[in-house]
Amino acid sequence: MDSAINRPVYNSPILKMLSSVLRLPKSSICVLAILLFAPHVFATDWSSPEQQLAGKIASSTGPGAFAVNVANRSSLSPSQAEEIRRGLLADLATLGVRPASADAAAGTVNITLSEGLQNYVWVAEIHQDSNEAQVQMVSLPRPDVVSADRATFPMTIHKTLLWTDDSRILDVALFSANPQQMIVLGAESINLYQFQQGRWQRQQSLAILHAHPWPRDLRGRLTLRKDHLFDVYLPRVFCRSTVTTPLAVNCYESDDPWPLGPAGTDVVTESAFFASTRNFFTGAISPGIGKQTTTQPFYTTAMVPREKYALWVIDGVDGQIHLLDGITDRTAGKLDWGSDIANVHSGCGRGWQILVTGNSDTPGDTVRAFEIPDREFVVVSQPLEFAGKITALWTNSDGSGAIAISQNGGTGKYEADQLSITCGQ
Amino acid sequence: MRRTSFPLLVASSLILAVLAGAETRPRYGGTLHVALRAAPASLEPSDQGAVDVVSLIYDTLITVDNRGQSQPGLATSWQADPGNQRWRFLLRPGVTFSDGKPLTADSVAASLRIANASWKVFAESGAVVVERGSPAPYLPAELALPLNSIVKRDGGKEVGTGPFVVSQWVPSKELILAPREDYWDGRPFVDSIEIDLGKSFRDQAVALDLGKAQLIEIAPEQARRAGIESRNVTKSAPAELMALVCARPSGSAQEQQLRDAFAFSIDRESLNKVVLQGGGDPAGGLLPNWMTGYEFLFPSQMNLTRAREIRAEVPHADVWTLGFDPNDSVESVVAERVVLNAGEAGLRVQLASGNTADMRLVRIPLASLEVHVALNELAAALGLPQPNYGSDSMDDVYIAEKTLLQSHQVIPLLHSPSEWAVAGGIRNWTATLGGKWRLPDVWVYP
Repeated sequence: MDSAINRPVYNSPILKMLSSVLRLPKSSICVLAILLFAPHVFATDWSSPEQQLAGKIASSTGPGAFAVNVANRSSLSPSQAEEIRRGLLADLATLGVRPASADAAAGTVNITLSEGLQNYVWVAEIHQDSNEAQVQMVSLPRPDVVSADRATFPMTIHKTLLWTDDSRILDVALFSANPQQMIVLGAESINLYQFQQGRWQRQQSLAILHAHPWPRDLRGRLTLRKDHLFDVYLPRVFCRSTVTTPLAVNCYESDDPWPLGPAGTDVVTESAFFASTRNFFTGAISPGIGKQTTTQPFYTTAMVPREKYALWVIDGVDGQIHLLDGITDRTAGKLDWGSDIANVHSGCGRGWQILVTGNSDTPGDTVRAFEIPDREFVVVSQPLEFAGKITALWTNSDGSGAIAISQNGGTGKYEADQLSITCGQ
Repeated sequence: MRRTSFPLLVASSLILAVLAGAETRPRYGGTLHVALRAAPASLEPSDQGAVDVVSLIYDTLITVDNRGQSQPGLATSWQADPGNQRWRFLLRPGVTFSDGKPLTADSVAASLRIANASWKVFAESGAVVVERGSPAPYLPAELALPLNSIVKRDGGKEVGTGPFVVSQWVPSKELILAPREDYWDGRPFVDSIEIDLGKSFRDQAVALDLGKAQLIEIAPEQARRAGIESRNVTKSAPAELMALVCARPSGSAQEQQLRDAFAFSIDRESLNKVVLQGGGDPAGGLLPNWMTGYEFLFPSQMNLTRAREIRAEVPHADVWTLGFDPNDSVESVVAERVVLNAGEAGLRVQLASGNTADMRLVRIPLASLEVHVALNELAAALGLPQPNYGSDSMDDVYIAEKTLLQSHQVIPLLHSPSEWAVAGGIRNWTATLGGKWRLPDVWVYP
């Protein structure tokens, strides 16, 4: 272990940007013009550990003919193990250790590709004469697991990985098409990134000052603004940015209601009060949905415009789904929905859909799209799968898609995905 | 250990989704009822029986994640001087004890001094400085051990900074905890945790069936049946070491040979199948293979032929006595089978109670997911010398562990998981790979 400063604070700067196929729901959404470059499968250069282990083996055996066996008992794929086997044999040959059959060999080298919590561990057991086997070993860090997307379906939800982070991500917003820029809201800081030379480069990190501990299931909302860059809503805290870069941010204690819709559009103007020490909205809505200014405490809402009114879907803390139309509060009952929903104006089908998280007890999660032709919910997409629980789902800045934050069950990292819907197959 | 593949994850999600039917965002409120076998007489972090509850009341400066890496706890950053003997830890601001008093460097230093009499610990410019007599490169992970929980002792009462505060405490019988509204990492979701202590596995199972407990421990031999009975059973990685420990060092070469013969005679595969219902792993090493990647190098297969050969080379063998806990059903079965195995190799072993046996059967939980600290703690628990590491590499951990095994004082048998059954209304129940709870994140669905 080195003695360098270890500073594993929140919003760690150890970050990775991955991307996959991007499907734009609207040509007008210029902010989604993200450059995509990373394939799903990463080629790994094993040459260094191969050479290292081959060198250690050769130093034990000296030159000669040896029976070399390679076994894989790690998470490496058979093709990767085969690639490593070939590399090792080539490196051994270079060092004078020639592969031979057991009866013609001076000894046997059994190589095991194993792994521990943090590392791949490659072990060579060298049997020569009747002496005890010599053991040589190299270890190398294991990469994190990368999950892949799935197939397409009639109305299809797509996800594009925008960002991963060891620390909790609360919301993400993309802005400015050229150069592409992104704001990532974390628990302790707001980070601004710019897409340069094929990757996201951090431009600024703005600390979020807060006098009280955050609630355990922390939630936060990032909204782009027309007269300044963004506002941030957090439990008991409100932050407003300055207008131009380099940005400053002013955070102060506030119980102001959070906007329920994207601030970049004029479609939704309602706001709701957030319970400052919990993880839900109190049910008080400002200025109100029609004549309704209060409803049950809820986690999330989604709005679907009708010809003469807007229908609001409330995902309540009581586990019920409520429908508010400005006059009545109807309970749709306990559906198999998760706590997070968000409306999306895709232009497909009836124009507006509601994205809904799943409610299984398993490590993964799903998002499905629903429409409400009348007052019943109709599924219009197959579930889009996530490798971890979704911790936030917010309509994006212009309302055309959504931002889903999930915590990968395998890596523990938080992942921010841009969700969009495309029509047809 | 192979990673779970994503398709498998998806498949299991689809299957279990049918069984689920609730919202997924955490709910505040409710009481979590827990039953435990442990019956700690105190809430001191040094009380081995209190390990499961200590983290609910106290925090540590550092935590260790599931990859064995140190993460911030009460300390937000740390730095070692060259040589790793002197470390400086910066404290998280704004943290308070449950009595409302602020966490200070002085209070942290006082707590660590009590837990580690040989350490020099003091406050310096608001930070905590730890000075050790020799290089301590793994000190951050050591500070994550429950023993190093930060405790303020105030008039004979222990106070912590942890997520819960004690509402009621009847030593060895009952512990009731309330969440701290001002906990620095967020108030826990439940309104109360009620823990019944000193409950046998059987009593715990009955309590679960009667709805009196929502979280219980499962005996290894009951785990499979519990799964068949559709109980929601979860388990840690096989982290607990079961081993035979000799009371005395092996004095002579012949004594070493006999111990080797004993080790070769033991049918660990059968022990795993019968005692752990196949849920554990036969152990040849002290640390499990999923943690180190090299444990397979230490033989764990039964080799009766070799055992008999070695035994035949020694003209005389004394009768050994084997101590075990007769109240522990797992230990009883293991001890009996080990004695039978030894007999097949021509060794005479008799079961014994008390502490005077030649060797005893022990079960030692994995103390840390950091490999060096885990091995150090195992060595200490087994009464073996502290390992020496030439460098930070896995090669040196392997050599250190091999050296411990070559002392012939310990014969590893099995690595076994901890298992729990959880009632249907409990959400987000998780434990670390090593089997430590994360109860602050649990919520109760009515």
